[in-house]
Amino acid sequence: MADRKALVVDDEFHIVQVVAIKLKNNGFDVLTADNGAAAYTLAVQHKPDIIVTDYQMPALTGLELIEKLRADEKTAAIPVIMLTARGFAIEDQQKQKLNIAACLSKPFSPREVLQTVEEVLKQTVHA
Amino acid sequence: MKGTLALCLSALALACGGSIAAAVVSLPGPILLACGILGLIAAAGLAYSLIHIAADVQTMTQTLRTDRPILDSLRSPALKPLAGAVRECLDKTLQPLQNARREIQELSLQLQLLRRRKSGIEAILNSIHDAVLVCDDQDRLILANPAAEKILGFESEKAALKPLKEHLADNPLADMIIRARSSKVRHVRHELSLNRSGSTAWFDCLLSSVLDDSGQVISVVAVLHDITREKEISQAKNDFVSHVSHELKTPLASINAYAEMLVDGEAQDEAAIRQFCEIIQGQAQRLNRLIEDILNISRIESGLMKVNRQNLSLALIIRDAVEMMQSYAQEKNITLAAPAPILCDQVYADRDMMMQVVVNLLSNAVKYTPTGGSVSVQFDMNDVDGTITVSVTDTGIGIPEQDMDKLFGKFFRVEANKNFAKGTGLGLNLVRQIVETVHNGRVFVRSKQGQGSTFGFVLPITSPKTASIA
Repeated sequence: MADRKALVVDDEFHIVQVVAIKLKNNGFDVLTADNGAAAYTLAVQHKPDIIVTDYQMPALTGLELIEKLRADEKTAAIPVIMLTARGFAIEDQQKQKLNIAACLSKPFSPREVLQTVEEVLKQTVHA
Repeated sequence: MKGTLALCLSALALACGGSIAAAVVSLPGPILLACGILGLIAAAGLAYSLIHIAADVQTMTQTLRTDRPILDSLRSPALKPLAGAVRECLDKTLQPLQNARREIQELSLQLQLLRRRKSGIEAILNSIHDAVLVCDDQDRLILANPAAEKILGFESEKAALKPLKEHLADNPLADMIIRARSSKVRHVRHELSLNRSGSTAWFDCLLSSVLDDSGQVISVVAVLHDITREKEISQAKNDFVSHVSHELKTPLASINAYAEMLVDGEAQDEAAIRQFCEIIQGQAQRLNRLIEDILNISRIESGLMKVNRQNLSLALIIRDAVEMMQSYAQEKNITLAAPAPILCDQVYADRDMMMQVVVNLLSNAVKYTPTGGSVSVQFDMNDVDGTITVSVTDTGIGIPEQDMDKLFGKFFRVEANKNFAKGTGLGLNLVRQIVETVHNGRVFVRSKQGQGSTFGFVLPITSPKTASIA
């Protein structure tokens, strides 16, 4: 019952793969991209229910991708979860401004990613 | 007469106690002598005292006429008391003069010493790179060395005794000095940043208040030590830690995630289980390589690297490195070509290190070349100057002109290319350390932004012996 669509974006192939497998095994239809620009194109084309993206990526960074998504009415409402590896927290102000649903730091747990995705989607449905 | 003379001399001694000289004069008899003595006493403090000695001092007057020294004549036994009195009188009279002369000499010496000290202090102040400023209790500049003039941009002669804020407008240093003066804190330290010709310079600013006996601040001394380089090093270290932690976390994230997937039974068949295990193994190896890179740079820099030199063929190393990198190149559809190996030993070098050099250059070339591009390796032996040159040329994104001389620096990454591929900025630094520090060669780079790059190195040829293909 792949009625939920997720887009996973990371320039690390193994990271994309592990998140994709976790979500696929739990009923998601998963799209993948290895850079921000490709992710934006996929988001416009497929309008996923949720996007899980890395912060530091070639072509467009995670933040630049979200800015672009928010500026486009077709993708503006898609909830985004960000994975960060640098050990820094994205400021609350920026998080609110870009409507970032959640931030998870690497090394992450695929279980935790799935759980967060489910929670965010639940909140989005109820909102 | 002798008794009268003694009295006269005593009186003379008394009279001349505070005066500066004595003279000899004739008196006719005891009355007049007494008058003379009284006169002498009365004339105490005058410059000259007069004494008459008639027959007894005839010898002396004769001596005076013949220009013999007066004291010689006074040595005659008859004149001994007079001579003694005169001597005593002269000694007492001249003593203050001698004292004054000694004081003047001492003061003169002290003055010379002070002048020498002052010029010494000025020479020290003028020679040091730290800026030194001294302000008085009215916040007026009373001293600034040339370094202060240069750093803060004023001429101390023009600025002398004028309010500090006139010359340090918009400079937080003025407020720091004023605060230090008003707070009477003996020593206070601040970090100060100043914009100089478009870049920011950092200073460690030590302010010391000079207090008088009553505890009032009479001046404030400011010493500015340039810590820009330390700041840059500190920033580079922070960047390094940040890069390294990111690079360490990436394979660690994969290991952690795939291990959890195995535990959670997310691998749905044997093939998936095997794939997950292989990923974990590969990422662990990647982690190990990264740690080795960091340690190798550290070992080379500290001179602790163990080097196993041997005669070897660089061509064979290139062949092996190209084989190792083929799968990575194929993932990006990049053509990777190398010349046929020459069957001779060309260099006396550490095999593992040279392998690392070639792999790093190839890996970078593939990493920064867009899909569908090409990477090729060339090597040239120059028998004339006895060197071998290895070059790796790509059709990649190239390097901006302004970054060319920084490429082999530790932790450096081309800002414009950061988003194209990830990296720690350690690979090329390790190449340089191995080639230049360990093997006395040199590295080089040629590049045009958007048109590709050639990275390479030159090593001296040694021991041209025939080698066997491994």
